[in-house]
Amino acid sequence: MGRIIVANRRGHQLVEWSADTETAEARESILEAERILREARDKGCAVSKKVGTQHVLDDAPFDPYAEEYQIIAPIAGGA
Amino acid sequence: MLEPLRDLWQRLLTWDLLPTPGPEGARRDGPLERPWRYYWDHLPKRTAGADFSARDYQEARQRAEEVARSTLGDELWRDLTLDGYLDVASTRYPGLTYRLRVGHRIQVLSAPGARSPWPYAYLCINPTYPLPELEFFAHLFLYARDGEDMLVRVAAPQPWDQRLGRTF
Repeated sequence: MGRIIVANRRGHQLVEWSADTETAEARESILEAERILREARDKGCAVSKKVGTQHVLDDAPFDPYAEEYQIIAPIAGGA
Repeated sequence: MLEPLRDLWQRLLTWDLLPTPGPEGARRDGPLERPWRYYWDHLPKRTAGADFSARDYQEARQRAEEVARSTLGDELWRDLTLDGYLDVASTRYPGLTYRLRVGHRIQVLSAPGARSPWPYAYLCINPTYPLPELEFFAHLFLYARDGEDMLVRVAAPQPWDQRLGRTF
């Protein structure tokens, strides 16, 4: 089971998918996760991926076998 | 007379031809809020929107702590709770260190002989949408460690420290 941590004002919310199950629902959950990551990147967000025990910024295409992604807020200067 | 106008307004909003304010857009998103779709600049500093209750703030801060802890890992989390800050050495400017504190501007520390590219010792960097302080702290740490070029590009140097305006 993979998941995306979507950081937002709620603290964060989770989007989960399963890459190990061959059902239409599982396939759709993978596509939806991929769509969310792509949309966030297109809007200027960064993405981190869990590698071992820590997260690192990642610009590779979506990997359905990844354990965890996180959507990182775009940043801007100024008070 | 008013009904056609109302209908046209709804269509404009649906087509996203006009920028949508964050709290209103987030309600349209359904269960998963996608804040990157909307603008949030109109919100008062350190708030998340008029639709946010005291309980919402409390729950958001609790969830943020879980994620910050998991993003940083146990060792860095322990350092943060003991010291109150994390230091990240610059890979772009030798001798410079970014000192990160939760909810505050980044302090730039220069080793003897090292030159900072900024005229002031503090860098103001905010998320473009409201986030709990700890959640954004973890993001800022990742930018400082893995995405320094982005951090340098947007940083606004300031002469003093201050709490960030887009976190709560």
